[in-house]
Amino acid sequence: MTQFLLKKFLRMITVLLGVTLITFLLMHAIPGNPWSNYSNSPRMLLNLGIDQPLQAELNHRFGLDLPLWHQYTRYVVGDFNEDGSFFCGAVCGNLGPSIQQRGRSVQDILFAPPEEKTFWESRFGYSMRLVLLGSLIATGFGILLGILSVTRPKSTGTRISVGLAALISIPNFVLGLLTIIVLASGLKIMKVLPDWEYPSSWIVPALVLAVMPMAGIARVTHASLLNIMNEDYIRTARAKGLGRTRVMLVHVMRNALVPIITFLGPTLMEMFTGLLIVENLYSFPGFGREYWSAVLSLDYPLILGLTLIYATGIMLVNVLIEILSEILDPRIRSVKLQGVQG
Amino acid sequence: MIFFPWRRALRSTTVWFSLLVMLTFGLLAWLAPSIAPHDPYEGSFTQTRLPSMWVQGISKPGMPEYPLGTDSFGRDIFSRLIHGTRTAFFLVLTAVPLAALIGTLLGLIAGHAGGRLDAWIMLLTDMVSALPGIMFVVIIVLIFRNLLTPTWFNGLITLVVGFAAIGWVSLARLIRINVLQIKSKSFMEASVALGAAPWRIITRHLLPNVFHVMMIWIINNIPAVILLEAVLGYIGVDITRASDGGEFTVVSWGGMFFSGRSALSFNPLILIIPSLCILLISMSFILLGDFLNSVTRQEYER
Repeated sequence: MTQFLLKKFLRMITVLLGVTLITFLLMHAIPGNPWSNYSNSPRMLLNLGIDQPLQAELNHRFGLDLPLWHQYTRYVVGDFNEDGSFFCGAVCGNLGPSIQQRGRSVQDILFAPPEEKTFWESRFGYSMRLVLLGSLIATGFGILLGILSVTRPKSTGTRISVGLAALISIPNFVLGLLTIIVLASGLKIMKVLPDWEYPSSWIVPALVLAVMPMAGIARVTHASLLNIMNEDYIRTARAKGLGRTRVMLVHVMRNALVPIITFLGPTLMEMFTGLLIVENLYSFPGFGREYWSAVLSLDYPLILGLTLIYATGIMLVNVLIEILSEILDPRIRSVKLQGVQG
Repeated sequence: MIFFPWRRALRSTTVWFSLLVMLTFGLLAWLAPSIAPHDPYEGSFTQTRLPSMWVQGISKPGMPEYPLGTDSFGRDIFSRLIHGTRTAFFLVLTAVPLAALIGTLLGLIAGHAGGRLDAWIMLLTDMVSALPGIMFVVIIVLIFRNLLTPTWFNGLITLVVGFAAIGWVSLARLIRINVLQIKSKSFMEASVALGAAPWRIITRHLLPNVFHVMMIWIINNIPAVILLEAVLGYIGVDITRASDGGEFTVVSWGGMFFSGRSALSFNPLILIIPSLCILLISMSFILLGDFLNSVTRQEYER
């Protein structure tokens, strides 16, 4: 087990290095510089650009005048200050200063809660809570719907699967806008700008976030249940007189869970992507909203920091899922060993 | 020839529904210039912000010349919708095959070669799949849109590249796993023993056996491209927002979402109609994919 975890950890480090390198190169290839891409600043609207000496000074302060490879190592490992002292880079958790939100470091923007609040009130905490709520809804209802579409009579099952195909094809921003129009300005059930202190205002964003993954999970559950139900041992279990529910829960579900769980990884990833849109729609104080402005205003350290967090989250979820599916189905490990040898 | 249950396909309602929807949209895209009542790019300064034609009895009633109303530049929404179908079709017909090509090639190579090459390709897929997909595409669009916009299909090619850059990953993984399974079969051993060249093994034995995986992946990913374009358009990081020409360059459903967001008060149809189109197209492809999936599963069980 330790060897497995160590291997995963090493791979994670490699992938994270690659991800930061790809993002680093790509974002520096975007035309323009952080000082000219002020899309929302009044200075840009008034056509007051920054003059050359000031720009050079700012470039120097944020290390943008260094060659690219030096900037990258400066970000990852660290660099020497003007006075010769060493500061540590991303490996120590120092994600660098934000360019557009002056005076704050990236880790401060993401993880530091407002005064006298807990960690869960930080941007990262807010997003995490929304994703957790969304994934609970998605997995719970998704698996439930998948089971229903198999166990109910065929006509209902078909109706459910057509409904799921419809749900998976609605863009989530359309759904979000519709909830705002219908629930907020029409029926006045929710506020357009909800107060996130109340748990009730979280329901609608979490639902909008969860709909697409839920439909996906339900479809996979449906397919995987159908596969298992055709197996011989299920027929044997029914033939020896076990009840429907018992066969469904013990024999079918346990075996069907592995493909469902392996599907959860990409689905949760999708949910993180949905976060970028849903947070924007409801002006939710999470980190997804930062992402857009960071990319559009070329806030290099913030883009890298957010990508880093996103990638870490995905890798962690994948490792968790791998461990879970091995616990549920010990056969997987032996298959993998064979695959390596063959 | 590959087994295909034509009779069952003809009796299935979902297949008919999907084919009908695809045919309708295909015809719309093909005949767009002759169906559309107005030029989708040209606005009229007098007929701006019209509601749809059945909205009457307000200070600015709808007109029959503009069936679905006009946007804030006075451009006919119906015409824009029809011309947007062309954009969607262009994306579907270029982006998905490109991603499928890359994914199939890399998956075949990784699965067949194994060893160090396999490890490197898998590392690459891990990296790309750990990137936030939409952001990756946005960055690619931002890089290329100023370079390519005037020519090259009005910059649509950037979206194609963007989708291909992230889309191939899932297919490469699928194909690799399938290739690994096929490699353990005895006919593969036989052909290796007969001294077949790697190229022959790939084209004659592996490719035909993973072909159905690729087809189903293509059908399942067509909605993804349309959705991606819609999301990018909605955010406003579309190719249509290039530096100078502004919104007038390409007519797309995503661009309609962008203008529809600010038009919700006088004409919510700008937003609802394209999303209905996306819903229909995406649903028909998903249902068709389901049908094909069930066919391959039955073939597998026979």
